[in-house]
Amino acid sequence: MMKQNNSMKIQDFPLWDKLKTRRAVISFDLEITARCNMNCRHCYINLPAGDRDAKARELTPAEISGMADQAAELGAMWVLISGGEPLLREDFPEIFMTLKRKGLLVSVFTNATLLRDEHMELFRKYPPRDIEVTVYGVTRETYERVTRRSGSFAAFWNGLNRLLDNGIKVRLKAMAIRSNFRELPEIAAFCRAHTKDYFRFDPQLHLRFDGKERRNGEIRAERLTPEEVVALERADEERMGVLRDKCDDLIHRDFAHNGCDHLFHCGAGNGSFSIGFDGRFRLCSSLWAEGTTYDLRQGTLAEAWYHFVPRVRALRSRRPEFLETCSKCALVNLCLWCPAHAHLETGELDGVTPHFCAVARARAAVIQKGEGQP
Amino acid sequence: MELTLDMKYAPSEDVVARVIEDELIIVPLVAGIGDMEDELYTMNETGKAVWSRLDGEKTLRMIADDLAATFEAPPGIIEKDVLGLIEELVRRKIVVVR
Repeated sequence: MMKQNNSMKIQDFPLWDKLKTRRAVISFDLEITARCNMNCRHCYINLPAGDRDAKARELTPAEISGMADQAAELGAMWVLISGGEPLLREDFPEIFMTLKRKGLLVSVFTNATLLRDEHMELFRKYPPRDIEVTVYGVTRETYERVTRRSGSFAAFWNGLNRLLDNGIKVRLKAMAIRSNFRELPEIAAFCRAHTKDYFRFDPQLHLRFDGKERRNGEIRAERLTPEEVVALERADEERMGVLRDKCDDLIHRDFAHNGCDHLFHCGAGNGSFSIGFDGRFRLCSSLWAEGTTYDLRQGTLAEAWYHFVPRVRALRSRRPEFLETCSKCALVNLCLWCPAHAHLETGELDGVTPHFCAVARARAAVIQKGEGQP
Repeated sequence: MELTLDMKYAPSEDVVARVIEDELIIVPLVAGIGDMEDELYTMNETGKAVWSRLDGEKTLRMIADDLAATFEAPPGIIEKDVLGLIEELVRRKIVVVR
């Protein structure tokens, strides 16, 4: 007997169970540019909008199409278009539709300041799975203190309202940084009032991909202290509730990798990967270390996925300082430490990062003591 | 429009069909397909067999006859099932008449 076809929500799809049984591609990030029209103090990637060298190195729509074909062939269902600011590219609509026509579910990260009529028509007819917009502030003063671009708040406000007015699915998020710290309660309230399903904020900053010391100094200056991070999380009942509920899963002696010198215990290169603006394949969006990236302009995604990734994930540490500390730490799930972030902080994949450590310990203390519980 | 076995159908250009891990997945491309957000479509083996024959050239009767021969099943039951499936796909704008 022939059954009717089935339609179902994505999360209920039986394919995911099949994919879990082997190391399959599920999603990937595509940074179509590293350039941005804003100059946010905390950003790890933004290059000037007029950076000719960066623009010249960007993937063409044809190259993106070829790489997306390969990703789809490997089973990818989701792609996140990010940047830089993706709408800086005049050919964004072409890239977006190219990815849609591969049968990929397309999400977009944008600051919403460059939305034109053309983009709105595109998103209305061919809806992205979602659009994520970061809210740097809900007043002009705070927003533009972060972005360092006069007029950016008005452009953001206009763009966001156009998305919402047109019924485009928008998710709002915030970075918790020094420049907007005092306005965070208002930012959170604004995001919760306007986002459809969830709101999240990120209080942890990692350093820049290009290692520029002046810009890294600006990022460090934007970092909140461990006490401030914890205070923010304690004030967020939803977030704190999840952390406490998952306490036993997040802090566990089994996470201490005693006797194991492998660097990668995270999910990098398992199920997802990133493609940089210049076609460099990375196991995750933060992993830029020399020897851990693969040039897709010179090779294939299948080669990267099946042969290059396992070689990177097999890397080991011989640094006693690491093997005696981070490698054995049961707080790893509360910590921003990972080989990628360690490299950005210290230049080494197994570098120890005291700031991350301090934040993780402060978070663990609150969760374990149950502080702030009603 | 009443659906009959003499009609010809083809996949809509507003969807993309993909096969991943032997699963046929139909991804809506435009707004207005499906009843809920985040919706994908899949079909069982026989549904896939129908889908693969929807080329806008064959009538539904030709497809049903082919399936009846392939699966050694009674033509009457197969015809009813093909009509039922196509009716559902038409309602969801996943296939279009040619």
